[in-house]
Amino acid sequence: MSKDQQNICQEKTFESVYKQYAKDIRRFLFYKTQDLDKAEDILQETFIKLWDNCGKVKYESVKSYLHTIATNTFLNMIKHDKVVRKHQESLVNHKDNESPEFIMLEKEFMVKLEHTIDSLPEKQKEVFLLNRIEKKKYKEIAEQLGISVKAVEKRMHLALVVIREKIGNI
Amino acid sequence: MKEQNSHNDKDVFLAKWLAGEFSDDTLKILVSETEYHSFLKIRKGIDTYEALDTSTDDSFNKIQEHITKSKQQEIGKVIPLNTNRWLLSIAASIVVLFGLFFILGDDIVTIETNYGEQRTIVLLEGSEVILNSKSTLTYDKDNWENNRELSLEGEGYFKVKKGSTFTVVTDNGNVQVLGTQFNVNSTTDLFEVVCFEGKVSVSTKAENYTLLPTNTVRRINGFEVEQWETRDTNPSWIEGESTFKSVPLKYVITSLEAQYNITIEAKDINRELVYTGSFTHKNLNTALKTVFNSLQIRYSEKEKGNIYLSTK
Repeated sequence: MSKDQQNICQEKTFESVYKQYAKDIRRFLFYKTQDLDKAEDILQETFIKLWDNCGKVKYESVKSYLHTIATNTFLNMIKHDKVVRKHQESLVNHKDNESPEFIMLEKEFMVKLEHTIDSLPEKQKEVFLLNRIEKKKYKEIAEQLGISVKAVEKRMHLALVVIREKIGNI
Repeated sequence: MKEQNSHNDKDVFLAKWLAGEFSDDTLKILVSETEYHSFLKIRKGIDTYEALDTSTDDSFNKIQEHITKSKQQEIGKVIPLNTNRWLLSIAASIVVLFGLFFILGDDIVTIETNYGEQRTIVLLEGSEVILNSKSTLTYDKDNWENNRELSLEGEGYFKVKKGSTFTVVTDNGNVQVLGTQFNVNSTTDLFEVVCFEGKVSVSTKAENYTLLPTNTVRRINGFEVEQWETRDTNPSWIEGESTFKSVPLKYVITSLEAQYNITIEAKDINRELVYTGSFTHKNLNTALKTVFNSLQIRYSEKEKGNIYLSTK
């Protein structure tokens, strides 16, 4: 039984590997591509390659295999995708004056942002997550929490102030 | 919305802006330039933060679709290429391994077959190479799918999956295909490429050739380039027999040595005699008999593994 669990060519194992690593790989790819759609494309290609080579990849090393394939696929995309290069070049030139068309989200920034959101004061965090993750409007949140819309807005506003303070000028 | 009452909104304007009730231009008025850019970045970061949290099920569905589709579409085109190790400037452009030039050090794979050994190698994307005896195949695993190049010394039968250009590099020339079956034989003075399926391009220092199925191109050093149509559907050596068509004896001798791990002393005979025929891989005596009897050459085993040739 455990042999089956370790065999990536088994569909169930492949699926569980996917569930375990897909988000991580997608995030990893986002930092490189700065483009969610491209990240998803490469994510798909990466797992397709894993499937194609399922017999040759050891279960224990699947994580590093996925990262390697993802990186290589990304690098190849770079070679053929001059548009990405243009963006990166324009980014270097406009460091202090971010062009309205493109804002780069560095890994450090995103890590700090996530950490800051995670450590928001309880009341602010609650409103923030309800609005951003659960996509609830301020009015709905007000009803749900039994407070005024203005109170919801105040908490959200504060959350953003806190985030701004903590992240500074990254 | 009541954008004029910004004074009343001083502790909620960020919330209103994030929700889209206030425009970016409105925000610009309410905060400093630095803060404005920070908030733009924060908003993008928040949007991305959410997106990176969403389910990856959509991608998984696409992956499953692709896998199902490719199972139905698998096509293997194999072009057997016979490239002897000869430095023949083969007219057919055979793109054979480029691996050596792209090797980055860590991911180079080298496969070497021994005397009498044949090995099937499955490459990362499913292409296959059947390597004949005493041959060496080298390629770079890293980035394989986008850069399918290998180096060949000796003889290999290639079954190439459709994909990026597949190139076989030999000392005699290169073979390039897009998904076909071919045989490459490249030794010091002989280079032979046979196309069995698909289209193969061979380039040597002198010329370029394009081979279609059954086209064969060969150059033996010192001779004119030869071209003919093979009647085989795959190389005979795969099925335990080596076949030669008007090949100087010295190359047949080399093949015998590689197949059976013997040394053949041929200094007392004419090694340029042309041989057309084949020999079996299964029995040395039968093989020797087949080759040398037809040429009226005597052979004797002086010591184990060492054959001496003489004229009758």
